[in-house]
Amino acid sequence: MSDLGPPLYEVKGVSKHYGAVVALDQVSVALHAGEVVGLVGDNGAGKSTLVKVLSGVHEPSSGMVLLDGVERHWKSPHDAIAAGIETLYQDSSLATHLSVSANVFLGRERVRGGLLGRLGFLAQREMDEVAHADMERVGIAVPSTKRAVSQLSGGQRQAVAIGRAVSWARKVIILDEPTNHLGARQANEVLAVIQAAKAKGLGVIFISHTLPHVLQVTDRIVVLRLGRVVRDAPTTEFDADSLLGTITGLIDAS
Amino acid sequence: MTGVVRSTNAGAEPRPRVVPRLVSLLSDQLVILLLVLAAMVAVFSTKQYFFSNATFGNILLDWGPLVLLAIGETFVIISGGIDLSVGTNAAFTGVMAALVMRSLTRSHHDQWFTLIIGLLVAMAVGTGVGLVNAFLILRARIVPFVATLATYGALGGLAIVYTHGAPIAGGPADAIKLSVPKYGPLSKPGLIVIAICITAGLFLHAARFGRYTFALGSNAFAARAAGINVRRHTVKVYALSGFLAGLAGMYFYLRLGSGAPTSGKGMELDAIAAVVIGGTSLSGGVGRLSCTIVAALMVATLKSGLIFMNVAPDWTPVVVAILIALAAYLQGFTPQIRRPT
Repeated sequence: MSDLGPPLYEVKGVSKHYGAVVALDQVSVALHAGEVVGLVGDNGAGKSTLVKVLSGVHEPSSGMVLLDGVERHWKSPHDAIAAGIETLYQDSSLATHLSVSANVFLGRERVRGGLLGRLGFLAQREMDEVAHADMERVGIAVPSTKRAVSQLSGGQRQAVAIGRAVSWARKVIILDEPTNHLGARQANEVLAVIQAAKAKGLGVIFISHTLPHVLQVTDRIVVLRLGRVVRDAPTTEFDADSLLGTITGLIDAS
Repeated sequence: MTGVVRSTNAGAEPRPRVVPRLVSLLSDQLVILLLVLAAMVAVFSTKQYFFSNATFGNILLDWGPLVLLAIGETFVIISGGIDLSVGTNAAFTGVMAALVMRSLTRSHHDQWFTLIIGLLVAMAVGTGVGLVNAFLILRARIVPFVATLATYGALGGLAIVYTHGAPIAGGPADAIKLSVPKYGPLSKPGLIVIAICITAGLFLHAARFGRYTFALGSNAFAARAAGINVRRHTVKVYALSGFLAGLAGMYFYLRLGSGAPTSGKGMELDAIAAVVIGGTSLSGGVGRLSCTIVAALMVATLKSGLIFMNVAPDWTPVVVAILIALAAYLQGFTPQIRRPT
């Protein structure tokens, strides 16, 4: 692994408690530029909590978060986003009443020039067009970026969420169950987008229950169980059976 | 009604840029509301004297404070909250402004100076109440309905406590003249209200402030995940609602020439009614200010019109209630109507 150079994004000895409940216990994971790391585990293994720590939603109870080797303390998702880390959350990344372009630009709206811009007046047409171009560049077909997200199909919504994350990410992109509820063809499109992000030199964290997808697209797999990392190894060392066994604990990883 | 919807949509689709924009500007819901309003006016105009500047002047005077409260309520409801305190906030701020203006008048200050100070007091007190609401919701983690129910009660009580139940007069003598219709049926405060309507509409539908408001009500988690400071925006929205309630309080003062502790009574419900009739979803994320504004005008028109129809004013809330139920019923159909587009 030394040929990959220093990690791009890393958590070291991170724990997270909710009251008496220990969601993460001394978890360490490292991600390199141009690497796709799969994060797998049963329900309640701590995947979602780890995603929230990585994306700045939650601060860890203890442990370190390092970006480019520098310790960071995200006070909010805004901090992580500003540092180049994009996250696609399971099912809830989009404001469905808003248009596609409003979602793509949510939180970083483009404003008009001059006084109107200072008052926050939006350059709506520009955002519609750029969002359209962004979606096309990522390889996602959306009928119109002016349409409300609620009018799109599940697959299209997911595509918009991924397209947004990929077009904004500068360093890391975290995808929490991006292939959920998708048909086979759409899921393959998502996997292609992940490959494209990897080729761009982004670090990708891919969380999924769909193990064939994980085996297909990742370089390395981290297995969580009950808040701990039980296995962290190159994808080539797993097959479908051994991965499932490690997740469920039938195979003793340590 | 569906005929109207269909024809506007069909006409919009094949044509290029400008026309569909115009059509979407006069969205189907707004067209329907305007038609209902026109029908109301037509029915009431069968009675003598209704169709006159004097009547319209009165309607617009009623509309002024109502629409101010309804605008604030629209922002709050779109953001996924609710503000029950706007009515008593207006009463309380009106009383506070009146107390300050009375003491300034007693010490022989200039009338206009006194009025401007009164206006500043009203804006500050109203906004302060909004900030208290935001504090209760964000810091004390009380749900908006309960938090603003508490301030609603407290302000209604305080308005009575500070006045012993009687209106506070003795302010600038010429204040009441400001509410006389000057431009056709419009008074000077009415003109300001219209300017506020336009400004608020632009900020809700064309600016970042409004975009965040919709995002908050649509999916607060997504808004936060996108880096929006959700708490700060919540504070701003409740402060805006309080600020507009403060202006409504001043409006009451100008209309009555005194600060009456009961002047905003029940108006929070009229304001919410206007928002709901205007098609804004109580679950947040959906709404249009122009529809609220027209719906507020409908409520005000109804109030005057029923009197002309020799219906006792006590019936007004009943008719408003029917409108609310009808609007909510029609809203239930909108998704099905819109889906194929």
